[in-house]
Amino acid sequence: MSDLDAYRTKAAAWLESMVPTYGKEARKGLSVEEDLAIARQYQRAKFDAGYAGINWPTEYGGQGLGHLEKVTFDGEEMKHGFPSFYFGISLGMPIPVLMQFGSDKEFVKERVLKALKGEEIWCQLFSEPSGGSDLAGLRTKAEADGNGWRINGQKIWTSWAQYSDYGVIVVRTDPNVPKHKGLTYFWVDMKAPGVTVRPIKLVGGDSHVNEVFFDDVKISDDHRMSPVGGGFAVAIATLMIERYVATDSAGFGPHLDLFVDLAKDTELNGKPAIEDGRIRQQIARNYAMRSGLQSITARAMAMMQAGMVPGPEGSLNKLVAVRSRQKLSELAIDLQGSGGFAYDDHASQKENWTSSWINAPTGRIAGGSDETLLNTIAEKILGLPQDHRPDKGVPFNQIPA
Amino acid sequence: MSILYDEGQQAIATESRRVLEARVNKDELLPLLEVTGKYHDGFWNTAKEQGWTALALPEAYGGLDLGLVELGLIAHQAGRSLSGAPFLTGSFGAAKAIELYGSDEQKAKYLPGLASGETIGAVAFASGSNALPTLPSVTLTDNRLDGTSTGVAGGLAADIAVVYANGPGMPVLVVADLTNVARNAIDSFDNSRLYADLGFAGTPAETLVVGGAARDAALHVLALQAVITAHEQTGGAEAMMEIARDYAVTRRAFGQVIGAFQSIKHRIAELYGFVELARANCIHAASREGQADFVTAAAAARISATEAYDSASRDCVQIHGGMGVTWELGLHLHTRRARSLAIEQGNLLFWEDVLVDRLTGEAA
Ligand SMILES: Cc1cc2nc3c(=O)[nH]c(=O)nc-3n(C[C@H](O)[C@H](O)[C@H](O)COP(=O)(O)OP(=O)(O)OC[C@H]3O[C@@H](n4cnc5c(N)ncnc54)[C@H](O)[C@@H]3O)c2cc1C
Repeated sequence: MSDLDAYRTKAAAWLESMVPTYGKEARKGLSVEEDLAIARQYQRAKFDAGYAGINWPTEYGGQGLGHLEKVTFDGEEMKHGFPSFYFGISLGMPIPVLMQFGSDKEFVKERVLKALKGEEIWCQLFSEPSGGSDLAGLRTKAEADGNGWRINGQKIWTSWAQYSDYGVIVVRTDPNVPKHKGLTYFWVDMKAPGVTVRPIKLVGGDSHVNEVFFDDVKISDDHRMSPVGGGFAVAIATLMIERYVATDSAGFGPHLDLFVDLAKDTELNGKPAIEDGRIRQQIARNYAMRSGLQSITARAMAMMQAGMVPGPEGSLNKLVAVRSRQKLSELAIDLQGSGGFAYDDHASQKENWTSSWINAPTGRIAGGSDETLLNTIAEKILGLPQDHRPDKGVPFNQIPA
Repeated sequence: MSILYDEGQQAIATESRRVLEARVNKDELLPLLEVTGKYHDGFWNTAKEQGWTALALPEAYGGLDLGLVELGLIAHQAGRSLSGAPFLTGSFGAAKAIELYGSDEQKAKYLPGLASGETIGAVAFASGSNALPTLPSVTLTDNRLDGTSTGVAGGLAADIAVVYANGPGMPVLVVADLTNVARNAIDSFDNSRLYADLGFAGTPAETLVVGGAARDAALHVLALQAVITAHEQTGGAEAMMEIARDYAVTRRAFGQVIGAFQSIKHRIAELYGFVELARANCIHAASREGQADFVTAAAAARISATEAYDSASRDCVQIHGGMGVTWELGLHLHTRRARSLAIEQGNLLFWEDVLVDRLTGEAA
């Protein structure tokens, strides 16, 4: 047994022991607030057992292990539906960025530890009503104010902002230069005077994203995490972190086995649906697509293990997987015919086709829309030209709104 | 678990690519489309000379003892350059059938010739639309074959064929000498594949496998060939994607290169996805040779590679506008090959069924 297999076995056993307290069944019927309280306990248990910050440096309270251990653990954890998603953004991007770019090491260390233990949560305040894909088009501004800055404006789609203690934010500090050049990166205290968070209800019924308003919010200059005007580079670094995080070939929807079971159990024209060519074709093609993604991921892991840099094909994961999940979920509902109307907004997206379907569109937008991902593949990997960008080189305040 | 190619394997890929790029060009391939019965002997001579025919066969019979991974890498390059001979797959399939299921005498009799490339092999399993029929149309009585095998790739040139036949009350897998077999040439959209209907009439045949095991054996041989074909398809798809990309950054319209239009740019990015998924499935399948899930992995490779090559050749032509459909440019060589390879070794419908049978545990 390889070291990694041993690690997997140990992690799987530990996770199994957590199911009675923190698994889906144990949390049924809880309000979001109650669930979050349990989630914090689960995160703390992970920390105590050595499964938090698996691939982070030990000096910050991490375990100092590799990506492989991290991905191995995540793969096992995913099987049980634990409430780890509250910390997904926090530990996914803002905290790693803080470790990389935060200047006050004592402060950073304290924040990292609290986040790892589930005591504090961070959010990522990038998107705005005027700019999601066009990140550099944001309008929230920070103006110099004595020794610090004053922030005014609005962010949107901020995941978990209502439960966050801190956030990382990109704002405009100079509207007189081209858009990418006038941005600066800060962290903010989400409980500071002038910060208002307003939840947005999403299609699936949940409200984990928010509008966040900044009204004369004062911050000192030690909140700055980039040079003045150098925020875009840090924002891109944030988005680049954890590239192989989205390695679920099911696109965070149900496993294909569940579709096969459904097709076996459902009758179509008096015969089991599994005998229908259209159904078989979809199963086969989805299997081929997913096995391709799994092979890409497996190779990437092997490369990292061998100290090599994985190829760019890992960037296909989210793009390909979520689209196919969306279509397969539609088909699963079709297959149930008039038995397919029922909807339970507490059902798991990984087990319930209707829940998977209604929430799939979020996956095609959040973390980069299909179109921007295709642009990235075309431009960065295939060397195709950049889109025509009429705002290029134009001072931000002269771009027609 | 997938594999990473080691240095030796990477060298095989680089070297075969260099050799094929130097020796195969479209001006030699285009005329082959207009005649029936000719193939690119430049490719086949290269294959023999480079030892590709011996690559995946046992050392005891003149082979080099490498495997599907290495042969797959060469097939990938052959697909890129459209190398026009079907024997890389057919001879390999026939040889593997004999190696895996034949007696020592049969191996000694056939394998050295197949390894050196002097003997050309074919595999004749299909009957009409069915890649592996429950009741084969060829019958075996007293060690003699009668009936017709349809659309055999390489059938016009092959010296021997491994045939899936209907024995007395049970299927059989046999090997037959094709010297006196009637060959009805098929005038095809991809003529250098040398498709033929083979007419057996009292043709002597040697038995490899009898009974229920014959079908499993035939499916296994088909899966081995499917993995090689999938590599070839992926190579072709990759070439089409690159040709499309290269054209998109040079051809101009409305004051800019056409690659700046998202409908063109995104289409090429989508092709990248098809090609990489197919490649990943090919690498995985080749690494599963000999494992219980090999047929499943082969089916997945075949499905994604067929989708990749068809999509890439379709879109590459479209991206070229009028130029795409000219005879001289030769993109249609790929369009044709994408379709011929899609049918050889079982079409999509066949492999989709095989795969789903495996996934539902209903495998025959
Ligand atoms: C559930 C969820 C959670 C999120 N969480 C966060 C978060 O925590 N923090 C945060 O900062 N943001 C978050 N986001 C925001 C997310 O990053 C943006 O929604 C996303 O980048 C798209 O931006 P947009 O919604 O403004 O759409 P737009 O950018 O307005 O796009 C509209 C349409 O135009 C297309 N489009 C845009 N530009 C191009 C182009 N160049 N070429 C072709 N098509 C184009 C898009 O693909 C899309 O189809 C979240 C979003 C969702 C849905």
